[in-house]
Amino acid sequence: MGVQETSAQFLDRMRARGYDKAYCNVSDQELHELQSEDGDIKLMRTAFETDVSMTGIIEHKRGSIGINTTDRGSVDDALESLRQMTNAAQPDEANDIAEHAPAAQFTSGPSEPDYDAMYDRIMELQEHVATKYPTVNLRSTSITFGKTNTSRVNSNGVDLLEEQGAYSVSVQFSAKDGEATSSMNYTGYSTHVLDVPIAQKNDVDQLIAQSVEQMHTKNIPGKFTGDLIVSPHCLSTFTGFLMGKISDSAMIDGTSIYRGQLKELVADPSLTIRCCPLSDDLTAAYHTYGTGFVAQDTTVVENGLLQTFMLSQFGANKLGMARAVNGGGCTIIEPGDSSLEDMIKDVAEGIFINRFSGGRPNDQGEFSGVAKNSYYIKDGEIQFPIRETTISGNLAASLKNITAISRERLNSGASNVPWVQIRGITAS
Amino acid sequence: MQTDIDLKRFSNQFTSYTELRLQENRSEGIGFLNGDMISNSKSAAGGISARVFDKGAWGFSCGAELSDDSISRTIQMATKNAEFLSSRSGRDGAVLPAATGHGDSDFTRTSPALSQEEKIAFLKKLDNYIVRNCPEVKSRSLNMSCLDMEKQLFTSDGAGGHNITTRSIIMIRLTTENDQGQPVELFSGIGERGQFEDVFSDSSEVEATIDKLYNKLLDKKNAARPEAGHHDVILDSDLAGILAHEAIGHTTEGDIVKAGSVAGDYLGQQVASELVTMVDFANTWHGETLPVPVYLDDEGVQSEDVTIIENGILKGFMHNKETATHFNTSVTGNARAYQYHDEPLVRMRNTAILPGTSKLDDMIASIDNGYYLMNWTNGQADSTSEFMFGVQMGYEIKDGKLGRAVSDTTISGIAFELLKDVSMLSDEMVWNCSGMCGKKQPLPVGMGGPAVKTKVFIGGQ
Repeated sequence: MGVQETSAQFLDRMRARGYDKAYCNVSDQELHELQSEDGDIKLMRTAFETDVSMTGIIEHKRGSIGINTTDRGSVDDALESLRQMTNAAQPDEANDIAEHAPAAQFTSGPSEPDYDAMYDRIMELQEHVATKYPTVNLRSTSITFGKTNTSRVNSNGVDLLEEQGAYSVSVQFSAKDGEATSSMNYTGYSTHVLDVPIAQKNDVDQLIAQSVEQMHTKNIPGKFTGDLIVSPHCLSTFTGFLMGKISDSAMIDGTSIYRGQLKELVADPSLTIRCCPLSDDLTAAYHTYGTGFVAQDTTVVENGLLQTFMLSQFGANKLGMARAVNGGGCTIIEPGDSSLEDMIKDVAEGIFINRFSGGRPNDQGEFSGVAKNSYYIKDGEIQFPIRETTISGNLAASLKNITAISRERLNSGASNVPWVQIRGITAS
Repeated sequence: MQTDIDLKRFSNQFTSYTELRLQENRSEGIGFLNGDMISNSKSAAGGISARVFDKGAWGFSCGAELSDDSISRTIQMATKNAEFLSSRSGRDGAVLPAATGHGDSDFTRTSPALSQEEKIAFLKKLDNYIVRNCPEVKSRSLNMSCLDMEKQLFTSDGAGGHNITTRSIIMIRLTTENDQGQPVELFSGIGERGQFEDVFSDSSEVEATIDKLYNKLLDKKNAARPEAGHHDVILDSDLAGILAHEAIGHTTEGDIVKAGSVAGDYLGQQVASELVTMVDFANTWHGETLPVPVYLDDEGVQSEDVTIIENGILKGFMHNKETATHFNTSVTGNARAYQYHDEPLVRMRNTAILPGTSKLDDMIASIDNGYYLMNWTNGQADSTSEFMFGVQMGYEIKDGKLGRAVSDTTISGIAFELLKDVSMLSDEMVWNCSGMCGKKQPLPVGMGGPAVKTKVFIGGQ
């Protein structure tokens, strides 16, 4: 039985138990993975999984349950448990499920893995690194092909089917020569086709080359306040604060500094952030989410102005505001008009940051943490890789202190974002 | 899930070294935000996995269905995967050390089961307690999370066991406003090994935690920012645990050492003050069962304590079968997987710096100008032993006395350097059960330690 028939059958059984509103999601997943460790392909994995999640609402009381089997006994047990949970819940009129929408089916990506290509791409990367960067250890490289068929049905008549297939590639590495050791670094991307060497995707070769340099780091000359050039690999640290604070928890509990800031300037006018789950440019794109919604693209920040909050249906109902039209992610940041080279030339003193290891920022956005795999910039030139360097500032202010955005962007399949220059960051 | 399947029945299908693992993870969550219920969920995910080793390569397969046919197919697929890899490249025919460990444990509740109504009522009672007793709180949340992990293992070496580990945690977050009207937040978790009914049989312990958290929140309300730079500090006992886990522990995991961690260069050397002894405990310390007791690991190895640092000397690393083979040493029982569909990795269990003999008050009195730091938020480490922890608050120490509260910051440094600067350890041992390590797969870990006097870099303006 396919996921659509299974979910429809489970929804009928929920209806029979008297729920006012019911939602069921059945997902079949198939994973094929090759893992390489320390430059040697060590593990091949095949996994077949089914996930079932059911949400029921009775008299505004809500419960959710997830299982990974579909036999009648397991589902009956789950439904009984769900009923007890729902009965015991505290009612809230904000609880709801997606409204009716026309039935739809969506398909993206390949449906079968190409094992030869998976194997050859990993071997090719290993040979490339062994030849070009002999001091680099490819600690872990994996290519995972995932195929997922998801059916979302609910008691409002929603009937959505989404079939997705994609490869996820991840690479983790460090360099070591005698007792000289670099920081560990990593990156990853997703793709529909393995037609390009891994080293040529998502800055992989550049980052591996930097590991060699990063075996010999230096402390910065002293504490200073200057510019930060944030690479796409850690830009989400800076935009993530805003995205988190315009979402349910901070908005509902009233601690978000962005409450009341809709259509207000929350970033430099050069910044435009979109969430585009329908983008053809992103492999991680999706069409359905939540309790049966069809996703739409949305602009979160346009020319520095906050355009929408990213509230779930519950959050939106709770606050009497509009819900977000997608489930988040798939971030696209519009390119700027500077070249990365010119941005570096423009820095009197600063840090080029590739990875950030930081503590949780406080509610105002104050942050501090260590700049990893990063470089000191002086008089417009990258000087040397740095060690034990802490940067600090305010994440909300940082978005307003953007001075340049690069024309170049990196597309990881999950996001397509540029390098961003921010002034007023303290390094020590 | 059916957990009484006799896995030995399938041993005639093993053609190479094989691990057959039946596992189910069961979780529950209930959450309140400002008195409103925001989550009420349960989940169960289980199935069978097979991992097969052939000439140095691993094949892995898994499935949720537990029929004989399905289990056989899982073994066949894992075998086929291992053979595919071993046929694609020259292999040295590596042999793994045999292990015939056995171990059973069951930490399910001894108290009568509570209904969902009763669990929700418990949380609601705590929420009301905050409303009644914490008048300056502007926002509050309570999130209960319970996780049971049940595993049955059988290996072609004949090792096997059936283990059920459980833990229950309530995260409490309180927010007030400072004099400028800005939110000031503090959060903490309370919980331990065991199911909800055993861990939260009485609300008074949680209420005492709420009282302590609230009092600290009031101190933090108008806290100063700590001065950036190197300082003498006392790391509260909860920070010692994450120091042990993140800053040192990860660098001494066999796979990380094999990949080039600096710890590999330091074996047998003085890497810390002579006061420092650090151990990854398998399951028990001083007769006490620890937060994450592991008796048999997921490769069928009887779990043993690993002394990582003894009196400041780096003594040993944590291993699975493969890294033990690589380093020509003994297995330690550190191979653990999170879900049935995950392969075991080298993971910590209950990692701790052992207590010393000093009194906390004496440690504070010994500092002229420094900080007493507490309440960690997150932590990260590196193969270079460079680490970072987020810290929610602390207090200035001036002339041996606690002063003003200080607000959120991060601390960082090179762990092996920080350990050399350790000059006092308190005589108390505090275990933390809420840790969730994120090395490729999430996994519950225990962490412990005393208060530590050392020097560390504090981030900030």
